[in-house]
Amino acid sequence: MAEKPEAVKVLYCGVCGLPAEYCEFGPEFEKCKPWLIQYAPDVYPDLLKDSDGKEVDKVSDQMQSTSISAGGSSTSKPEEVKRLPGGKVKKKDKKEVIIEKVVRNKRKCITTVKGLELFAVKLSDASKKLGKKFATGASVVKGPTEKEQIDVQGDIAYDIVEFITDTWPDVPESSIFFIEDGKKVPAA
Amino acid sequence: MFIRFTSEDVSAQNQVKASVQRRIRQSIAEEYPGLEPVLEDLLPKKSPLVVVKCQNHLNLVVVNNVPLFFNIRDGPYMPTLRLLHQYPNIMKKFQVDRGAIKFVFSGANIMCPGLTSPGGVLDEEVEIERPVAIMAEGKQHALAIGFTKMSAKNIKAINKGIGVDNLHYLNDGLWKMETLD
Repeated sequence: MAEKPEAVKVLYCGVCGLPAEYCEFGPEFEKCKPWLIQYAPDVYPDLLKDSDGKEVDKVSDQMQSTSISAGGSSTSKPEEVKRLPGGKVKKKDKKEVIIEKVVRNKRKCITTVKGLELFAVKLSDASKKLGKKFATGASVVKGPTEKEQIDVQGDIAYDIVEFITDTWPDVPESSIFFIEDGKKVPAA
Repeated sequence: MFIRFTSEDVSAQNQVKASVQRRIRQSIAEEYPGLEPVLEDLLPKKSPLVVVKCQNHLNLVVVNNVPLFFNIRDGPYMPTLRLLHQYPNIMKKFQVDRGAIKFVFSGANIMCPGLTSPGGVLDEEVEIERPVAIMAEGKQHALAIGFTKMSAKNIKAINKGIGVDNLHYLNDGLWKMETLD
């Protein structure tokens, strides 16, 4: 095995995210059909046969209308499609600050603040301000998956909302969330 | 296993130390000799390797936010389906008949008759409690990753009940989690 085995490129459906050949078992085969006809006509030859003639027009109309609603230009389209399957990417775009209290030694805890960077706040500045305001240690911690967050010692969960909204007016109170028992609770 | 798996199930994630990294890499290399030439590309020695601990004694091996392998308790490391699709020949393969596909898609374990019927293919060498890739009749790519509950010979002989535990299948929670952060 001296040679590197080539990585196989798998065609994933742009609608449901499955390999194209499994679309028929996916949750929404009907929705995948237009995509399949355009991008993977050889996987489902029956599909093309079914949709000969008028159907093809209909489908292409449909495709056009979707592309129009997706922004009109063809360049924006693949992006739109990519975003849909997991639903994950969309979430990431949402700007929100998440505040979580982590209990450390029964009576000691750490408040972590995530997502401030989305509001164009400099994290190192923010941690300094937080530390000064609450007279505790506050530091920028690099999360294991490359995401930075601020750790503040002590339970400051309730005061911090006001502080954030006062210090950074760009951050609306409605986009601040607490995590309680693993659930997101809006702060407002 | 991963039916409803979201980032909320992650209980801890940490960058592991070099010795643990080495051990993980070694056990993966042992398990999947076919993967060895590309292992350096997959798990570069330079880039940090993160082990994500989840509920039910589940560990994920994550590089650059992409889950690549998972294991349960101290079991063997198994590739995620996205990785397996890229390197399909690293695992032993079983094939199920067409009728079984939709059940596998909803997370069912693989029953023996689905493997022994005309549409199914068994790799006779597979022992009990080994990871296998589940392929499907008439399909090119794997649709699930399983853990054998019987050896292939027994599956053929007994031909009843669960043959392979379905651990990870297309469109389950882990599949949808392309990246982790």
